[in-house]
Amino acid sequence: MSLIADEIIQFSSVLRIAYNLLAGRNYLKRKKFREKEKLVAVTLPFSDLAFAADTIPVFPIRMHEFEISQYLTYLGSASSIFGWNRVSNFLGFIRKLGINEVSKIVDDIIEDVIDVINKKYNEMYDIGIENGISTDFCYGLKSLVGMHVSKGSNVDACLNVTIRCSAYNKYLESLQAINKGPKQIWIDIPPRNIGNAIELLTDNISHAIKEFEDLTGNTITDNQIRDHFKIGNQVKRAYKNIIYDISASDFYPCNPATFSEIMALLSITFQDYNSNATRYRDNIVSLEKEMRERIRKGIGMDVSNMPRIFVTPMFGGWEPKSHEIIYELGGRALYADWELLQLLEEIPTSPNSNPAEEYARFLMRATETGIGCDNDKLTDSYLRMARDLNADGMIFFQLFGCHSISNCYSMLREKIRNELEIPTTAITFNKIGESIDQVKTRLGAFMEMFK
Amino acid sequence: MDDLSLLSDITLFLKEKKSEGVKIVAYLAHDNIPEELLDAAGFFPLRLMFGGNDELMDASHDFLPPSTCAFAQSCIGLFSTKPNLFKFLELIDYFIVSNHCVSDVCVSEIISRYFNISRLNFYVPYTKNESSLKYFKLELLDLKSKLEDIIGTKITNERLIESINKFNQFKKVLLKVNELEILGSEKLKVLHRAMLYGPEFQPDLEKFIRYVKENPSSISETSKDVLLTGCSIFINDNMVDLIEEGGGNIIFFDTWIGNHYYSQIIDDNSINTEKDPLELLVLKFKNNIYGDHSVPNFLQHKISQIENYYQDYTKTKGKKLGVINHIIKFCDHISLMSSFLKDRLQEKGIQVLNLERDYSRANRGQLSTRIEAYLEMMK
Repeated sequence: MSLIADEIIQFSSVLRIAYNLLAGRNYLKRKKFREKEKLVAVTLPFSDLAFAADTIPVFPIRMHEFEISQYLTYLGSASSIFGWNRVSNFLGFIRKLGINEVSKIVDDIIEDVIDVINKKYNEMYDIGIENGISTDFCYGLKSLVGMHVSKGSNVDACLNVTIRCSAYNKYLESLQAINKGPKQIWIDIPPRNIGNAIELLTDNISHAIKEFEDLTGNTITDNQIRDHFKIGNQVKRAYKNIIYDISASDFYPCNPATFSEIMALLSITFQDYNSNATRYRDNIVSLEKEMRERIRKGIGMDVSNMPRIFVTPMFGGWEPKSHEIIYELGGRALYADWELLQLLEEIPTSPNSNPAEEYARFLMRATETGIGCDNDKLTDSYLRMARDLNADGMIFFQLFGCHSISNCYSMLREKIRNELEIPTTAITFNKIGESIDQVKTRLGAFMEMFK
Repeated sequence: MDDLSLLSDITLFLKEKKSEGVKIVAYLAHDNIPEELLDAAGFFPLRLMFGGNDELMDASHDFLPPSTCAFAQSCIGLFSTKPNLFKFLELIDYFIVSNHCVSDVCVSEIISRYFNISRLNFYVPYTKNESSLKYFKLELLDLKSKLEDIIGTKITNERLIESINKFNQFKKVLLKVNELEILGSEKLKVLHRAMLYGPEFQPDLEKFIRYVKENPSSISETSKDVLLTGCSIFINDNMVDLIEEGGGNIIFFDTWIGNHYYSQIIDDNSINTEKDPLELLVLKFKNNIYGDHSVPNFLQHKISQIENYYQDYTKTKGKKLGVINHIIKFCDHISLMSSFLKDRLQEKGIQVLNLERDYSRANRGQLSTRIEAYLEMMK
């Protein structure tokens, strides 16, 4: 971990994103109680309308108090006085002096991001099961149920967007049974783009906008929606640049394990932009800048001889130690789930456009060509992504209980063999940390193929 | 193990259909496929409704992980098991890929792709608002156009109305079967055959109804009446036997194979006044509020349906009615809602047994014990 900690403090933007993720509870409390804002639970990167409506989207785990948030609050307070760059530079400086206590604190930053979040995810998983969700469902759903059972009553509404996964859609239905208070706002995405399906989806989105207006009591203008899309587009652009220009390149601004940590952090936080789109945009844009700056200065690591291992899917639950293990075995793990699912596509914002319709096109494109209404399309997305990343191998996390994505593996394996001719393997996953040894063994055998 | 005579009969029946030039379209059994449209195009709609044993489940593991619903696994097993008892599957011309649940999509896609059966798509929206109903019509139009391309001619409104009427009449007769006071296993056997053969089985159904009325069977007075909800009991599954051996008798099948199917009757007034027959199919979809596919009101509708049935039953019969929620392991829809359904019904004083299982023989003893204990409690 120390190596990773050493690296990460060089990126103050990462520190900020991590802080905003873990210190979300205080921010959300302030928004809800002091500023009387409406909190809206979101899952997967579908927060756009909530932002456009001037509500506060929240991925529900962020309403929890994290064990070390007091320490992070201190860092946050210091940063508000001295600025984040100075705080992170200071931490880096004193770490180099070898002051143990401070060194430990620096390591704690990483603990915040990785271990604490994962521990909390596992805690949510347990709460989900204790509250009646069958153990047969995937890690993601069990954790989501746990989040809503424990904190869902704090939100004013849930934004429910249907996708191809029937278990997920039923989970969305169950939210009104878990907590009776929050308003349920639905967007049903038609499974296929046939006939005037875009028009129908536009109607569904307009209806959801109306529901948001009822929730807040304010009118939502087209300009408001476009303004948010512009911010979202900047976030997506920076995210894509990091994926394609940096993660697929041969020189990294840090060691590959750290890089993967950062990508994992982005994957988690992209769902609700840490509840503040502008702040998140500023952070991810400066993250890209910091990375480019380091690369320009030659600070970082030549990774040209390290095979690129595309690790996916990870958004519904994966073993977070994987990238460290892959790194120790001489490879580098690439994460790009949201791009694979076409959720990093920009939304047109020209003044004459109808934002509801543009959002409908965005969602439909993701459904048709990213997530896919069937496994043929979904597996094509995996292939496209592996090709675009120039991946040397693919690790597929087969989630126990996932009937949507995990079931495509046999088709995916066949297509990879026929079309990409790169090594691939599936690793079964149930709960974080549950089968580390097995993951190590599987990854060890897999990485042998590159020697 | 299997109902060999049924397999042999259906094979002969389908062969005869093929010799008449009829094309066979298969799909996983669920309640939103517009079989009237398939029928109007001159196709025979074949519902895959077999499952219930280890062999079929295990035969699917080259294609799907074992953590997939046992029925979905079994559907693949029908095609991949060796030696294959389901020879009639070779007669299938088209397979409908639909999204009742995501396993439906995966399995249908696998069957079409790996067993070389041409694919037709029919996707169903999840909600039931105005836009969803319009989308459902788009899917109907798309399927209609694909079918017309295959047959090389237009499906006329008259032909479609004729098919709608045919299936309507068939379902009305099935409703009468539902009302018969016979053993659940007998009723289920008839339902299986009827839903496999479709309206051509109607004369047999009518004969059966007449026979039962003339020769009323006696059901043990000590048996406990049960409403079965959740997942269907498919052909070759011994679940109904386990319930009867435990002292229960299913009097109402609130499942795809059962009420979800035959309750979908389009009212005569709509048939007589609606000019576009596709709108009638949209209406049928709209009215299918008890089907488990839809969100967000499935649970609410299901609770009120069961509660109403329960109240009527206890008022008329003066005794308790058991509710068994049959959950096939890894079923997305039924499993996820099961604890909520049980809690809500129990709050209303209705005792529910959530009975989760796959098709392995090994758990037969455990299931029997649970069923017996539940029925014992109903005394």
